[in-house]
Amino acid sequence: MDHFQVFGLPRRLAIDTVELQRKFYELSRLHHPDFHQAASPEEQARTLEASARLNTAYRALRDPIARVEYLVRLEEGRDTKEGATVKPKAPPELLEEMFEIQEALAEAKVGGLDEAGRAALVAPRDRLMVRLEQENARLVGPLTQGWDAAAPAERQRVLAAMKEALATRAYLGTVIDDLNDALGESLEGYVTHRRH
Amino acid sequence: MAYSEKVVDHYNNPRNVGSFMKDTPGVGTGLVGAPECGDVMKLQIKVNLQTGVIEDAKFKTFGCGSAIASSSLATEWLKGKTVDEAGKIKNTDIVNELKLPPVKIHCSVLAEDAIKAALADYKTKWIKEGAAAASST
Repeated sequence: MDHFQVFGLPRRLAIDTVELQRKFYELSRLHHPDFHQAASPEEQARTLEASARLNTAYRALRDPIARVEYLVRLEEGRDTKEGATVKPKAPPELLEEMFEIQEALAEAKVGGLDEAGRAALVAPRDRLMVRLEQENARLVGPLTQGWDAAAPAERQRVLAAMKEALATRAYLGTVIDDLNDALGESLEGYVTHRRH
Repeated sequence: MAYSEKVVDHYNNPRNVGSFMKDTPGVGTGLVGAPECGDVMKLQIKVNLQTGVIEDAKFKTFGCGSAIASSSLATEWLKGKTVDEAGKIKNTDIVNELKLPPVKIHCSVLAEDAIKAALADYKTKWIKEGAAAASST
């Protein structure tokens, strides 16, 4: 049973989260161990399992981006082996930018961060965060709608676009973390240096 | 997890770090990345347009030790090979040479992707012009 089926939902991305939560509470009560104390041990074990499955399903579906991630995994599991090994690739211009940022980051680590150095990291960090927001908006907006509206023959194309958006998002997240780490660490270093 | 001696050696003494100007005749550039770990790898080859032999190779990688070692090793192997021979380098060759553990196999895949991207870039940029130049002389 997949996470959509747990809630009796079709495999569609647009989900009314208020309704989802209502259903989650309803099913939670149904599977709650307290209401099954008189049941046989086997029955109790089954209830516990259903309860755990429900929680996992709810976590995967309540967040619209986690939902896309889950759908991609689910669809890939059904795919042929070749389909599943097609790795998502980040767009080339993003790679160029990543390379430049990593170079600036490496320089900053060697040379220490003065004010200009910090600015050189803050600017791309802020730019990437805007980009990350755009990617998130694309996933929960056009791509979510695109999947739900797609005819079966179009699904692979939408799936590929979702994979690329997820890969881009993952890439941006990693590098934003790297930049934040560098900015945080160097700030500490800077303060220590001034204290001495 | 301990790195093999060869990985440590390439990590501490990376071979052929650097870059060529992208539009230098015979230069092919491959830029690849792994979204999951944030790695970026740039690998370049400089091919002799008369002989089709890779005369020099350079790389610059931002990533873990295995990613650096994989690309460093790749540049060593590329030098002296023809373009066709270079296309036969497989990630499994790198895994075997560096004794990469299963969790680091994706680093060797990245290096193979970078080689392929550099070769493809070389071909689209220089093969037609090279052929035209050769036929016009």
